[in-house]
Amino acid sequence: MDSANANMNKKKLKEDRKMRPNEKVTLWVSRVIIWIFIVIILFPVAWVVGASLGTGDAFFSGTIFPKQISFQNYIDLFQKTQLLTWIKNSMILCFGVAIIQSILTSTSSYAFSRMKFVGRKNGLMTLLILQMFPTFMSLPAIYGILAKLDLLDNLYVFVLVLAGGSAFNIWLLKGYIDGLPKELDEAALVDGASYWQIFIRIILPLTAPMLVVIFLFSFIGTYSEFILSSAVLKSPESYTVALGLQRFITNQFSAHWTLFAAASVIASLPLVIIFMALQRYLQQGLAAGAVKG
Amino acid sequence: MKTGTKIRDKLTPYAFLSPAILSMTVLSFLPIAYTIYIAFTNFSLNHFKQYQFVGFKNFIDIINGPLRTVFLPVLLWTVVFAAIATLANYVIGLFLAVLLNNKNMWETNIYRAILIIPWALPSTIAILAWQGLYNQDYGGINTLLSYLHISKIPWLTDPFWARVGIIIASAWMGYPFMMNASLGGLQAIPPELYEVADLDGATWFQKLRLITLPMLMSSALPLIISSFAFNFNNFGSVFLITGGGPPRTDTAFAGTTDLLVSAAYKMTMQFNRYDLASALSIIIFLIIGTLSYVNMRMTHAFEEVD
Repeated sequence: MDSANANMNKKKLKEDRKMRPNEKVTLWVSRVIIWIFIVIILFPVAWVVGASLGTGDAFFSGTIFPKQISFQNYIDLFQKTQLLTWIKNSMILCFGVAIIQSILTSTSSYAFSRMKFVGRKNGLMTLLILQMFPTFMSLPAIYGILAKLDLLDNLYVFVLVLAGGSAFNIWLLKGYIDGLPKELDEAALVDGASYWQIFIRIILPLTAPMLVVIFLFSFIGTYSEFILSSAVLKSPESYTVALGLQRFITNQFSAHWTLFAAASVIASLPLVIIFMALQRYLQQGLAAGAVKG
Repeated sequence: MKTGTKIRDKLTPYAFLSPAILSMTVLSFLPIAYTIYIAFTNFSLNHFKQYQFVGFKNFIDIINGPLRTVFLPVLLWTVVFAAIATLANYVIGLFLAVLLNNKNMWETNIYRAILIIPWALPSTIAILAWQGLYNQDYGGINTLLSYLHISKIPWLTDPFWARVGIIIASAWMGYPFMMNASLGGLQAIPPELYEVADLDGATWFQKLRLITLPMLMSSALPLIISSFAFNFNNFGSVFLITGGGPPRTDTAFAGTTDLLVSAAYKMTMQFNRYDLASALSIIIFLIIGTLSYVNMRMTHAFEEVD
């Protein structure tokens, strides 16, 4: 902490010494514009947080933030709604999808990056094309098939449905493995290690940072998934958080807005914290795996 | 023995690929193939068990038949929405990135962490909150406007304001990504260029126009194209804020703010017209696929395949 402060002071000193008057004007104009932007951009967030702390069902009409602060909405949320069930369902879905996708992605990217085989080039091309098909495109088909097989509303079947497409992740991880030194696994191969041993002992540990990114992408994406869940999950007992909140808002919006606000704070907080904490890895991961322009 | 290991070596790659191949075949290829097949049939609630091949009828209905008056306005609005939303994302993102990329601003990272918040929120929930913000009577925005003595805006009931509202919400959600990407691009520009420009006495605006923007363009174009493709299919912003409404008087199939995607969704879920929805999906894919192809040519993604 001290060294960080010292660093900051040093930077400030440097800044004061070297800045020319017009640079100073630019700096302060920039700061003021950024502050204005921050206020505008945080207004929706602040309004929702404010609403969640309001009293009763009614709106704090006429004021932007409540005059009295109460946590009653948060208490009601756990006592009177199915939020806990929805959170549990979301966790089953998100962890399930993220784990399956990470496994699919890691084994196939390893094969694409390190092995030569018939169909490799076409396989990679197919992945690129698959990436262009938006998920909703298969909605009529998936809905039609699940309806015929009587598999709607089944959370575990739905995990499998969502875990299917990970073409983007395979490209991302393949790019990352391409960047690891080939000598490492070639040496192991000469020493008589099998491909599986190399994969487990060398490739997996080295790709761990990128796998974390892929896991997070799957997790975050699944957490916000709406199109397929709203089609497939029918009963409130199998809703996810996103779906439950949407149904909540459309059914009882005008009566329970402050309750919804509290629910969205609860539902957003864990993801925001994870995102903020791992932001740096997300960026590095994206930069490492990105297709070079 | 030797031939045995050889065969095993040849099969190893497929063993590693098999989980992905299996899941993608079942969950990506088959549904897409089935979608393409449905698009050429009359599969709907009326023909749920027994449906027949009808050829290009669905496509003709959409593009030139009875549904033409629905399809064309929705297509036009989809393009307009995607263009404006993408432009807004990029301009705001770039503008903030230029301001943040100031070597004299020691607290840049703090601002950056705050400005990125809309990106970190779960999108479905953030969009739902926007629905509340736009409520005419008690929504945050109209309350704020009343402080400024501006009369209430009918965000969700007037076609024009509903469209403006969706664009604002999409800009709010989409700019952080562009800001981040632009910051990356800005930091890759060699500082010497600016030093030389300073020596020549260039103004702030001249440096932006003659150095920054041209240098950013190569990395920006692919981002802009993929962001356009994303907004073209920005289902959440429309369906969860306005539900496609306010409704149009001449058709029940699509409201004034419906994009092609949400129209396809409604055709599946509300009208059970799987045939029309599939045909519409294929049209959307052709548009997005073309764009993505151009994008990948530009980023040389195809050359990486070798």
